[in-house]
Amino acid sequence: MSYIKVDQISKTFKVAKKKSGLKEAFKSFFKREYLYVEAIKDASFEINKGEIVAYIGPNGAGKSTTIKILSGILVPDSGKCKIAGMIPWEDRKKYVKKIGVVFGQRSQLWWDIPAEDTFDLLRDIYDIPNDKYQITKKNLIEKLNLKDIINIPVRQLSLGQRMRCEIAASLLHEPEILFLDEPTIGLDAISKQVVRDFIKKLNKEKNTTIILTSHDMSDVTTLAKRIILIGKGKVLYDGSLQKLKSNYIKEKTINIETNDKINTKKKGIKKVTKTKKGYELVINQDEITINQFINYITSKVTISNIDIEEDNIDNLIVKLYQDYNI
Amino acid sequence: MKLYFKALGLHLKAELEYRMSFIFSFFSQVLVFFSYYFVILAMFTRFDNIKGFTMYEVLLCFSIIQFGFAFNEVFARGIDKFDDLIIQGNFDRLLLRPKNILLQVLCSNSDFIKVSRLIQALIVMIIALINLHIKITLIKFITLVLMLISSIAIFFSIFVLAASYCFITVQGLEVRNVFTDGGKQMAQYPIGVFNKGFLYFFTFIIPYGFVNYYPLLYFIGKKSNILYAFSPLIVLIYLIPCILIFNLGVKKYSSTGS
Repeated sequence: MSYIKVDQISKTFKVAKKKSGLKEAFKSFFKREYLYVEAIKDASFEINKGEIVAYIGPNGAGKSTTIKILSGILVPDSGKCKIAGMIPWEDRKKYVKKIGVVFGQRSQLWWDIPAEDTFDLLRDIYDIPNDKYQITKKNLIEKLNLKDIINIPVRQLSLGQRMRCEIAASLLHEPEILFLDEPTIGLDAISKQVVRDFIKKLNKEKNTTIILTSHDMSDVTTLAKRIILIGKGKVLYDGSLQKLKSNYIKEKTINIETNDKINTKKKGIKKVTKTKKGYELVINQDEITINQFINYITSKVTISNIDIEEDNIDNLIVKLYQDYNI
Repeated sequence: MKLYFKALGLHLKAELEYRMSFIFSFFSQVLVFFSYYFVILAMFTRFDNIKGFTMYEVLLCFSIIQFGFAFNEVFARGIDKFDDLIIQGNFDRLLLRPKNILLQVLCSNSDFIKVSRLIQALIVMIIALINLHIKITLIKFITLVLMLISSIAIFFSIFVLAASYCFITVQGLEVRNVFTDGGKQMAQYPIGVFNKGFLYFFTFIIPYGFVNYYPLLYFIGKKSNILYAFSPLIVLIYLIPCILIFNLGVKKYSSTGS
């Protein structure tokens, strides 16, 4: 039995149609036209305890709606959803004790007072026994390196410092599931790294199930083994990142530095262009593996340097979006 | 309850962060309040009474309404500012916490500056009471306390009702000012001084009449029926449907998300 089971959930929003122009504004004042937007349609997936899943898709694909349904804020129009043996929107108070939610774009900390005060308030909100609270807090302070910033009013913190406090605030009650909605948005490289490392550690040590949305593909690659791609409200792909990569990244660009001339018509080599120090080649991995290619090329010419391009996950995603027409 | 007081303490802490602003706002509130007060004084230098109500009777009425309103602004500011919670999307956060929603809304905001109004309202009330020369019996004392409580309750109900309206739309919120600020302005005077239409509206639709008119009549000795003395209790009953409507709104919110 999976830990999180989402079965065919759908959710449609009714939004008032807005047209530009004063005349249209008057018209809609008297007669509203409504548009029905299917934010999410027959989405199904299952997640096991302790998994880290990245939930990706372009803006407006239905990511936030899904997170809101899973966290019990929204009730879907149809479909079933069972998480940790509970239906999220049914027993709200009991359910939310098991989950933690971080919204990257919204703060749950009080702006004018130090984060520690918010933590103390959260202890009362979640009815955490004091001794347990002190241990958890100490632990989080240590791991997220909050010691020096926890006593400063939140408004004076940098974005990265604030995000670390946000994450700590969401974990004080030691939730079994953590939802991270764009946790690294707007952070600098170091802060991103701290946040990622922490999430990884948390998953390993506490076996916390983590569902994460992000537009930052390096978040996805470093954290999640599994991704769920959503577009136009539908689940388009659900599986390992590795598989997606090998399915989608067929062409690879390789740079070779050499003084010799390359003049080849070998199958699998798609493009050869002369560069300053050598050549740039594009190969199709279906027809020739990198290994085969290197064997072949070294038999032909003497190379002084070789540079194989990293898989660019951003490009992959763009391509995916194009292929699925989302 | 402990949670509520803790949140209140934090609001105070946050507000005191801006010390000068706090001091200035506090004193500007004093001035605003006295401008209301002087309007009444000025009126009574022209007229001896309004429809049989003397100045101190009106001031008593005025102070009770001001007290209830200011009390809500200090202790239930969150519900007054509920539209902000919805618009900024912070309401979602409340749904993610294992506590009663209305309680959390109350915890979400507080306006300590208005403590100054609370104090002033009490001062005016005491001045009015001294000058009214009423022999305060036990029942009259209870009536007075009930009036204060019902004044708090009525504004709270209206704030809750206005907040529930936010679940439908956050547009056109000015409407609610008719009932809160408008109602407050009206209710500062004994409702009986206005025409019958107002009296009925503020008795049956929004029961301001039970806060400051019917009990006032008993208190100042114009009516001797004991029912008048306990009429503020009706306002407490009025609270129940208001809270129910709010809870209905919360339910509806989770199915629309807007």
